Amino acid sequence: MRGSLPIVAWLSAVALVSPVLAESDSDAGSALDIMRASGEGYRTALPGQPIGFPQDHLAHPDYRIEWWYLTANLIDTEGQPYGVHWTLFRTALRPVDSVVGWWRSNQMWMAHSAVHTPTGHHYEERFARGGIGQAGVGLAEAGQFNAWLDDWQLLGTSDAPVPGHLSTTVNGLAIELDWQADQPWVLHGDNGFSQKSGQGQGSYYYSQPRLQITGELTIDGTAVPVSGEGWLDREWSSQPLARDQQGWDWFSLQFDDGTSLMAFHLRQKDAEPYVRGTWIDADGQSRSLNEGDLVIEPLEWGEVVVDPGEGTRKSLPLRWRIELPSQNARWTVRARQADSWLATLVPYWEGPVRVEGSSGGVGYLEMTGY
Amino acid sequence: MLRLNQVVKQFAQPDGDVTVLNGANFHLPVGRSAALLGESGSGKSTLLHLIAGLDTPDSGDLTIDGRSSLTLHTNDWNRLRRDRLSLIFQQYHLVPTLTVLDNLQLQARLSHRLDTAFRDHLIDRLGLDGLTRRLPHQLSGGQQQRVAIARALLHRPALVLADEPTGNLDEDTSERVMGVLVDLVRETGSSLLMVTHSAHMAGFLDEQWRLQHGQLRRLSGA
Amino acid sequence: MAPATWPVTSAVRRVKAGFARLLRVLLTLLSHYRRHPLQTMFLLTGLVTGVALWSAVQVINAHARASYAEADQVLGAQASHWVRARQGQGISVDDYVQLRRQGWRSVYPILEQRLTTAEQGVISLIATDLLVLPADAATGDSGLAEGGWLQLATPPFEVWLPETLAQQLGVESGERLQLSSGRELPPARLFSREQQGLRAFMDIGAALTVLDQSRLSYLVVAELTVEDEARLNADLAELNPDLALVANQQRLDLNELTQSLHTQLSAMSLLSFAVGLFIVFNAVRFALTSRRHTLTTLRELGVSQRLLLAAIALETLVMSLVGTAGGLALGYGLSLLLLPSVAATLQNLYGAVLDHNLLLQPQTLIQAWLLTLAGLLLALAWPLWRLARQSIQSQRDEPADWQQDARARRRLLGFSMILAVLAVLLYFRLNSIVMGFTVLALILFAGAGLLPWSVALVLQGIQRVLPASAWRLNWACGDGLAQLGTLRTALMALLLALTANFGVDSLVDSFRTSLSDWLQQRLAADLFVQSDTLDIDALLAEPGDWLVESHRRNGLTVRWQDRPTQIRGLNTETSDTRALPLAAESDRASDWFDGAPDVIFANEQARYLAGIELGDRVQLPVEGQTVSFEVVGFYHDYGNPTYQFYLPHERVEALWSTAGEQGLGLWLSDDADALARAEAALTRAGARPGDWTRRDDVLAISLRVFDRTFAMTAAINALTFTVAGIALLASLLAIHQQRLPSYAHWRSMGVSGPEWLLIVGLPLGIGLLVTWLLSIPLGTLLAGLLIYDLNVLSFGWTMPLIWRFEPALTLFWLTLAVAGFTFAISALQVRLRLPQALKHLGEDAA
Repeated sequence: MRGSLPIVAWLSAVALVSPVLAESDSDAGSALDIMRASGEGYRTALPGQPIGFPQDHLAHPDYRIEWWYLTANLIDTEGQPYGVHWTLFRTALRPVDSVVGWWRSNQMWMAHSAVHTPTGHHYEERFARGGIGQAGVGLAEAGQFNAWLDDWQLLGTSDAPVPGHLSTTVNGLAIELDWQADQPWVLHGDNGFSQKSGQGQGSYYYSQPRLQITGELTIDGTAVPVSGEGWLDREWSSQPLARDQQGWDWFSLQFDDGTSLMAFHLRQKDAEPYVRGTWIDADGQSRSLNEGDLVIEPLEWGEVVVDPGEGTRKSLPLRWRIELPSQNARWTVRARQADSWLATLVPYWEGPVRVEGSSGGVGYLEMTGY
Repeated sequence: MLRLNQVVKQFAQPDGDVTVLNGANFHLPVGRSAALLGESGSGKSTLLHLIAGLDTPDSGDLTIDGRSSLTLHTNDWNRLRRDRLSLIFQQYHLVPTLTVLDNLQLQARLSHRLDTAFRDHLIDRLGLDGLTRRLPHQLSGGQQQRVAIARALLHRPALVLADEPTGNLDEDTSERVMGVLVDLVRETGSSLLMVTHSAHMAGFLDEQWRLQHGQLRRLSGA
Repeated sequence: MAPATWPVTSAVRRVKAGFARLLRVLLTLLSHYRRHPLQTMFLLTGLVTGVALWSAVQVINAHARASYAEADQVLGAQASHWVRARQGQGISVDDYVQLRRQGWRSVYPILEQRLTTAEQGVISLIATDLLVLPADAATGDSGLAEGGWLQLATPPFEVWLPETLAQQLGVESGERLQLSSGRELPPARLFSREQQGLRAFMDIGAALTVLDQSRLSYLVVAELTVEDEARLNADLAELNPDLALVANQQRLDLNELTQSLHTQLSAMSLLSFAVGLFIVFNAVRFALTSRRHTLTTLRELGVSQRLLLAAIALETLVMSLVGTAGGLALGYGLSLLLLPSVAATLQNLYGAVLDHNLLLQPQTLIQAWLLTLAGLLLALAWPLWRLARQSIQSQRDEPADWQQDARARRRLLGFSMILAVLAVLLYFRLNSIVMGFTVLALILFAGAGLLPWSVALVLQGIQRVLPASAWRLNWACGDGLAQLGTLRTALMALLLALTANFGVDSLVDSFRTSLSDWLQQRLAADLFVQSDTLDIDALLAEPGDWLVESHRRNGLTVRWQDRPTQIRGLNTETSDTRALPLAAESDRASDWFDGAPDVIFANEQARYLAGIELGDRVQLPVEGQTVSFEVVGFYHDYGNPTYQFYLPHERVEALWSTAGEQGLGLWLSDDADALARAEAALTRAGARPGDWTRRDDVLAISLRVFDRTFAMTAAINALTFTVAGIALLASLLAIHQQRLPSYAHWRSMGVSGPEWLLIVGLPLGIGLLVTWLLSIPLGTLLAGLLIYDLNVLSFGWTMPLIWRFEPALTLFWLTLAVAGFTFAISALQVRLRLPQALKHLGEDAA
């Protein structure tokens, strides 16, 4: 689910009167309208379609939206915490009968690169059009998986993104990360079809929850060796949201005992939140969490500066309670830095979290629609 | 009020110098009025210009309002003309673009001596009621001269100098204008020196003098 | 306490009293304007129109310069460097993307193209990718912040047109513009971005798609540090040696290239101001004359001279402020009207882009005011100085106006002689545009100074030859001399306007004729092809009998003498090259046609602006070295702001590997279907519709660009003439008002209406005739100076002066119409006011 809001809002901000928006009714103008609009003209994400590798690591241009999403909790040699988040979004601007290339391409790309250092939060946003090679996902010359926009690049050592390498920058701060993983890919929901509402809307969604990362950040010309754990997400769909869903809170948690949890909390108008998740054992076995398996509740709200220039603030839940009643497990999830707002073309909150409770751990939290 | 002592004035002309005043002597006490008679070209107007500081004598001196012309500089003359003297001309010399009211108040305003009660009194006495908003060219000659008289008296000058004030007016009008001028000068206590060629008009004043061969001679008077 | 404060309070009181007196005198003086609204109107009209014309041009110049200062930006983003292909064939998208993928994020793509509409209009198109345009440093806005990006970039796409351009093209919002190639632009939207100027804007993907093209014109590089520059150079060398990083010197180049044009504009506006000043001079003179008695009266009332002068100075100040304010307001409006044609000129000639938001800069305000004040003081100084010197007494008995006039005329004549001598002296040292315009101004004012004397001479001459029996004509001439004092400034203003009009008309006429002849000669082929998809070799391999002759040109742009310089390779055998008209040639010119390797032809710009002569050697950069050529001929190259050299085609090919195709000329056979067959052959060889243009269309387009370029000249001329017309009306009204009592006398003596018309109208007619006649030689002189000296100094173009009588004749009728109209108005005024004047006649002589 993560990251889908920015690209949607990006589109609606760019497209003042997008033809896609014409269908929306109730709360016209909301950033989520494209997500809620029917995916007519595009392929629809339906249950029962098997996910296959390596081909599904690549782009699915006949679906409207898609993303490759990496988050990482890292520490330097002195134990100081760092966070990295890098995303490549793809969207189709309009349905086409067949995929066209070159300048006629209907594909658009956007990327976000963000870093939390012990002293602050930095991020950068880029755009590119598809078709001309400036951005895309495909196989590099030697057949490796390759996702890029300008000189930002996520390059696999094989035809899969894991093991892989990220090379990116954030306003002059350079990030080079290498990773590998022991666990298999985790397919969420029904064999990779992740339902997002009671009305059937959903997306294809799989993750690699346990990336072992080593790498180097170059900050002001100084190299800082880092290591830690990361999480890679893949998701695509044409209409993932129902019309009455307002925003979401998304968690990727890695516990100290080797288990992991993906959980989302979709806030709906006039209804209880739609809550789903996936529990992943230390050996990589996963189990879908449905209604009743999972409790997600905000505990404490805090002020977040959303525009440093104007000093504008917003109130966001920075402490959460997550419970798995069947496992008799409960945790408190706390944002490490309140200052994690991305005032990008479409703004959202994304930052590292610390987990306490049944077991300790780290993770990432994304909050949208506030 | 005014005293001339051996005043000499010559003009250069193509056919030789002409001596207009040749050691002229004259005395006009405070509050008196005098008429200055003479042939055309005898130098009456020149004399008046000398007294007004518009021209300077070649030799001799004149004392005006207790000050000798020898000690008076341009600025002093300006100030004297503005505050203590006034001039009335045959051609009225009104400002054509100012209304009657603005014209008759002009000198009083310049000398900061505008007395509105006295102004209304003068307007009344000179019969200018109902004309104050007009422009000079909308008035008859007699009316224009009465505006000039009002302008000349409103700041209560010590000395009024008049150069043929009725020269442009018909006989009836002249008499009326003359009468009111003399009355008002008496009322303000100013002295008056009037240049005229008319013995009849001269008769309205206290003294009559004649300018002949560059000399001033008193004819009669009370 | 008390003794110490006394003198202070009395001093304060004195100052207050003095100020009150000053105000009183000022109000008395100003009452004149209230009572004479017409005169006031003319005074202000003179000031306002003069300032308006001047400030309009000033605003435009300032605006243009501000736009050049922004030439280091493209569409709102920084542009410190360009990446260009050395042989000018554009940049492949792959090379661009490769640079982006190497991390050159401040590099963005531009497509720039001239398009011809179906109606033979020419528009410039600029396209970029708003997604990658760097954010504006000032506002932080990315390219996406403005407008509707999605419509721009997705079918059916959009083309954004600034409103002025849309009006010119007659395109409404949502309409599609047809191109001569048969293609259609996307629906128009009336919207424009920063630095779009008078250009059409499109998304680059849309533009490449719609125009069916594959290469980018160039890349813009936003900001580069010195280290980055070195790195980028290295990356470019590795990526594609054809690509070069070029510093954006447009800001400097534009300032330099356009300087002449702005000087010319300034000169024309100053002329307008001078004509306006004549009205002011007239009005001020009249205002002072009519107030001479008031000034004397005030002196008699004891107002000191100093106070009087202070009041007049204050009056001048008030007038200058009112005039400046009105003039600037009008000037700003005027500049809005003139801007499109100036912008067109700058874009056509220099490729400079002007935005449409005009700025009124504080220094323009201050300059306008100072200029007005200076003008007013100039108009006031002389009469005031005279007045100040006089004693009160002598002020009352001034000599008659006409006697003074005779003196003034002689003085003006002397003055004009001095100016003429100065002009001649300066002319022989002429070496800059500013100096050229100084000579021009000297000639104009010398001519103006000569005018009153000439008119008087003619009137007196007529008087002399008239028989005594023609007493009416005699009287008319005598009266003319009396009118002259008041009329002369208006006539002088008219002379300036007529001269400027005739001179500039002759210039534009000559230029247009030369350009048209030159184009006719140079555009010899029937079809001109410019295509990056055409396979020329294939086309010319087996052309068929529709083709009589062909001329293939190549070329490139290098930097020579620190300016962009074009090198063109010509086929020396073709008929058009054989007939190449040379402005100057040396003995070795024929060697060029024989293909001698060391000789070169240069355009006249290189001769006059870079200062090379026949026989000189020029060093041209050839791949890192220089090659020397002897200049053996100069050719005309109208409308080109850059230096250019001609070499044989093979020579260019041999020397510069980067030289690209520079067009193909095709001569068609006389067969009726030759054109259709040529077009079919072109299409077969890879050209696309729109890649070729017929000769007549090229001619028509070029002349249309020329006419648009000179539209503003015509506008300023017309305005100057209007100002002169107003001056004439003001003078006639003033004359009649002053002389109304005289007219009443005449009427009382039995002068009839027609007799009055003759007496008053005839000398006016004679004055106008003399003015017009004098404007012909003066205008010719002006045109000659503009063509033979200033044009050469400014643009490096030479052409013959083509003298025609028609413009003079047109001006004659125009003058007659203006004079007739103004005379009718003033005569009507006399008719209305004469009865009143007659009534006053009996009252008094004063």
